[in-house]
Amino acid sequence: MIARQVLAALLLAAIAGCGPSRPPRDLLHQVSLPDLARATDRVQAQLRAQYASLTEKRQTPATPPAELATAFGEMGRLFMAAEYRDAAEACLSNAQMLAPSDARWPYYLGHLHKARGDAVKSAAAFEQARALSPDDQATLVWLGNGRPEAAEPLFTHALSRDPRSVAALFGLGRAALARSDYTQAAQQLERALSLDPRAAVLQYPLAMAYRGLGETDKADAHMRARGPGEIRPPDPLMLDLESLLESPVAYEVRGARALDERDWKRAAAFFRKGIELAPAEPSMHHKLGTALYMDGDAPAAAAEFEQALRLSPHFAKAHYSLGIMHGASGRTRPAIEHLTAAVRADPTYVEARLRLADVLRSSARTAAALSQYEQAAKLDPRLPDAPFGHAMALVDLRRYQEARDRLREGVSTFSDNLAFRHALIRLLAAAPDDRVRDGHEAMRMMQDLLAREPRRYDVDEMMAMTFAELGQFGEAMTWQRDAMAGAERAGLKDVARRMADTLSRYQRRQPCRTPWRDDDVNQR
Amino acid sequence: MSCVVESFDPATCSTKCTVGAAVLTLMLAFSGCGNRTAGTPRAEPWFVDATRQAGLTFTHFNGMSGDFLYPEIMPPGVALLDYDNDGDLDIFVIQGRMLGKRSVSDALFPPGAALRARLFRNDLAIDDRGTRTLRFTDVTETSRIDARGYGMGAATGDFNNDGCVDLYVTNLGANQLFRNNCDGTFTDVTKPSHTESPGWSVSAAFVDYDRDGWLDLFVGHYLNYSIEANIRCFGLAGGRDYCPPHVYKPQPSTLYRNNRDGTFTDVTAAAGMAAEFGPTLGVATADFNNDGWIDIYIANDGQPNQLWINQRDGRFTNTALFAGAALGAEGEAKSSMGVDAADFDNDGDDDLIITELTGQGVDLYVNNGSAVFEEQSARAGLRLPTLPFTGFGAAWLDVDNDGWLDVLMVNGAVTQNVEAAARHETFALQQRKQLFRNTGRGRFEEAAERGGAVLQQPEVSRGAAFGDIDNDGDIDVVVGNASGPLRLLVNHVGQARHWVGLRLVGAETRRDMLGARVAVARADGSTLWRRARADGSYASANDPRVLAGLGDSATPPTIRVQWPDGRTEEWRGVAIDRYTTLEEGTGK
Repeated sequence: MIARQVLAALLLAAIAGCGPSRPPRDLLHQVSLPDLARATDRVQAQLRAQYASLTEKRQTPATPPAELATAFGEMGRLFMAAEYRDAAEACLSNAQMLAPSDARWPYYLGHLHKARGDAVKSAAAFEQARALSPDDQATLVWLGNGRPEAAEPLFTHALSRDPRSVAALFGLGRAALARSDYTQAAQQLERALSLDPRAAVLQYPLAMAYRGLGETDKADAHMRARGPGEIRPPDPLMLDLESLLESPVAYEVRGARALDERDWKRAAAFFRKGIELAPAEPSMHHKLGTALYMDGDAPAAAAEFEQALRLSPHFAKAHYSLGIMHGASGRTRPAIEHLTAAVRADPTYVEARLRLADVLRSSARTAAALSQYEQAAKLDPRLPDAPFGHAMALVDLRRYQEARDRLREGVSTFSDNLAFRHALIRLLAAAPDDRVRDGHEAMRMMQDLLAREPRRYDVDEMMAMTFAELGQFGEAMTWQRDAMAGAERAGLKDVARRMADTLSRYQRRQPCRTPWRDDDVNQR
Repeated sequence: MSCVVESFDPATCSTKCTVGAAVLTLMLAFSGCGNRTAGTPRAEPWFVDATRQAGLTFTHFNGMSGDFLYPEIMPPGVALLDYDNDGDLDIFVIQGRMLGKRSVSDALFPPGAALRARLFRNDLAIDDRGTRTLRFTDVTETSRIDARGYGMGAATGDFNNDGCVDLYVTNLGANQLFRNNCDGTFTDVTKPSHTESPGWSVSAAFVDYDRDGWLDLFVGHYLNYSIEANIRCFGLAGGRDYCPPHVYKPQPSTLYRNNRDGTFTDVTAAAGMAAEFGPTLGVATADFNNDGWIDIYIANDGQPNQLWINQRDGRFTNTALFAGAALGAEGEAKSSMGVDAADFDNDGDDDLIITELTGQGVDLYVNNGSAVFEEQSARAGLRLPTLPFTGFGAAWLDVDNDGWLDVLMVNGAVTQNVEAAARHETFALQQRKQLFRNTGRGRFEEAAERGGAVLQQPEVSRGAAFGDIDNDGDIDVVVGNASGPLRLLVNHVGQARHWVGLRLVGAETRRDMLGARVAVARADGSTLWRRARADGSYASANDPRVLAGLGDSATPPTIRVQWPDGRTEEWRGVAIDRYTTLEEGTGK
């Protein structure tokens, strides 16, 4: 295919200036519609309509080359959007042959070859585009991304045209990393991050740069802040292509992207379009409901979730979403019904099990909650919520020894999760069960905690409990008063008032035997 | 004026066109034109397809029925093991079955034989002239290996230290542990050993992580998946397709400690491995930080990979992120499938090669000796040529025995080619294999043509087991193809150079000492580091022997072995061009 393009280009060059030229139609690639049976009706209609338009122009000898080029180009774009890549390549190549000065066609070919993983052809096509449009940001960045060995001049050029180009800075940073120039890499990536602080994807290469410089604290900090994502240059051509296809999946993808960008209204609009094309698809209704809920329209969201269930009564995600909504509104019974249905439909649905466990626990069905927490912990041991919830449910059931053991495991497994430490300290300092309390262990943990955390009213309260358990009531009273003052400053007057009861106990030289105040929902 | 093309002659790469009355002949350099000189002899291919001649008749059945069930695209793995201790490698291959409630009559490609994993005994014959004849016999029935689940892969290792290699089969569903009875038969000891590990497992590895002389077992789990909750996925144009992994949640993997009494204990949480996991597809064990304790590298599909560094107290710590071995160069979690660890740059530490999805390119993590890695696939010339492919089984192997480790990877897509599907090509996922020769300067060059026609054959390849099947001193490959034939690739080039072959066995157990590191000190002063291992690649088990290419050196090398328990021994003047068994305790 490249050979034909070279021939065509040479021939066109040879006859330049020789008078009015005819388009070299004999050299054009054959283009026919592939079997579209697997595509949706709407996509088939799109492709057929576009093909009919192309055919008409092809069959009209008087069609100017530029117009024929556009017809091939539009056909190629639509094929590309629908992933008919061979047909797309033929069309876009024809468009390029007919309109060799139009940078769009080699640009799209560059992306087409990139999608196939053919980096060599992709770079060649982007180079052709660059020759026609040397300052185009998107071309420079994509070419740089695909040619690491020659990337830096390209990114430098891109940056010269747009000094605020995060994509160019990202590229320069990565290029510097590749040649182990960590200083340069850090500089470029820090600049990029300053321009787009939300671009979590910058954090990892920045961490690698600081690692190379031996600055491990900075490397650590950036590593923790890393996240998924993509840094794309402003790319109107590809954005336009990505909006072409009218299929449910295409709208779902656009909607999901909008959700990631937190553009709820746009996401909802895309999902509605998807529903127009696939009204019986429950997942589309569920996604629309999610976008509506995030946009603050709970009733409309609930209606979509209900519709999803009408279409698919065992659709776990819809049950989950309704369960969450009911739970948030205090409607415990329907919350439990829906969350139970979600778990029944998909026994591996960890989030549903966790939320079901929480609702069961808050409605005093603690034994049932225990079972759900256990199963959630088995399904995904990475989640601290399950073992923590399990431990708190054991506390509710006054099974303090087991609760203490679960919390100890949690401290060991989730060493960065302070909730386990807080809860364990409270039990060790104030559990009603003599076999559980251990003031010395509580104090060791408190010392460690104070080295990690700033003082707050709840931390001060825990320290007071610990001192009281060790019989040091003077210290206990001091810390309790600090806790009360802290609660007052935080505007928690009710909390401060309840803390006064405990202070009275300390004044009577009595230790605390209620690890949590009744109002302490945040800590349990 | 215009130029009208009259003709094009592909033989001479010239075209004639008329401009007015003049005829122009343009000679143009087309790709492929004029490059072939008449009479240039073709060199012998490095690998030859010996499947049929060797009597290996097996076609994998994945049960596909048009429902695009995710498990259909993942198996099969293959295993090389000398189950009968006759000195040559036998072959075990995984089989599938129908998924869910569908019957075999619903299958798009009905199976031609009973659906059962197969064991093929190697009946290698070497005549007086040294001519090798490879012949395999299906001994599944007599072996009593009854693996009828939806098989994924296999791991091998002598878990009970009786000198006979055992077999662990991973499945969609409960796994199976088959104990070798040392009499040609196996017994399913899954339940008494407590190694069922239900769920969806793909790769597993026997590894003595606590250095007590008994092989423990790591089982990599993939996704939380059930047929009942199968999710339907579609391509952009609306056609059905296989789902990507992120639509399902990953399943925790399991580390089993060998209790030395035929049972195992799940120590995943105790080892500190429970709170971090991903959808595991590849497992490779090696001592990455050179402290004498085996570590475990996990390749996860679409989530960060893990480097579990052995803390020497029964626990592991995942250092992959800071070690630079978790993510791609841009910080993206890649779709890692196959993995292997070995010293490709001969600097004394084990590096990593990981196969990835189309558009991602392989990862080459180069170790600095302290288990800190730098991704260098682009610099090494591996990234660009691998971008178009989705790689699965892969391994480091010295194809030509020049002392530098090359890499071979088997490929096959996981999502439909839309146009192939439009042409009604079912399971249109075929891709060719790739072989990259190590030039010895930190770079690789693809040996596409030299590799042989068998590498160019597009198949949906998954597992690949590497080992010297004909015992001629070079590494051969067995490839498992999804819904396709088992393929035997015999190496025809490595034997032309000198080599040293080693089987490392324990003192009392006489089992293969997986994890032992070997230093091959050559006459020129250089040292090659190799490792006895069966794990690595994808869902497959490799030849545990060590084979090191010596190039043109005919001097018997000195061999230094670091046993898994940390002790070191040395043997001088080890014979070349043959296999030697080195028994623990018999060296200096």
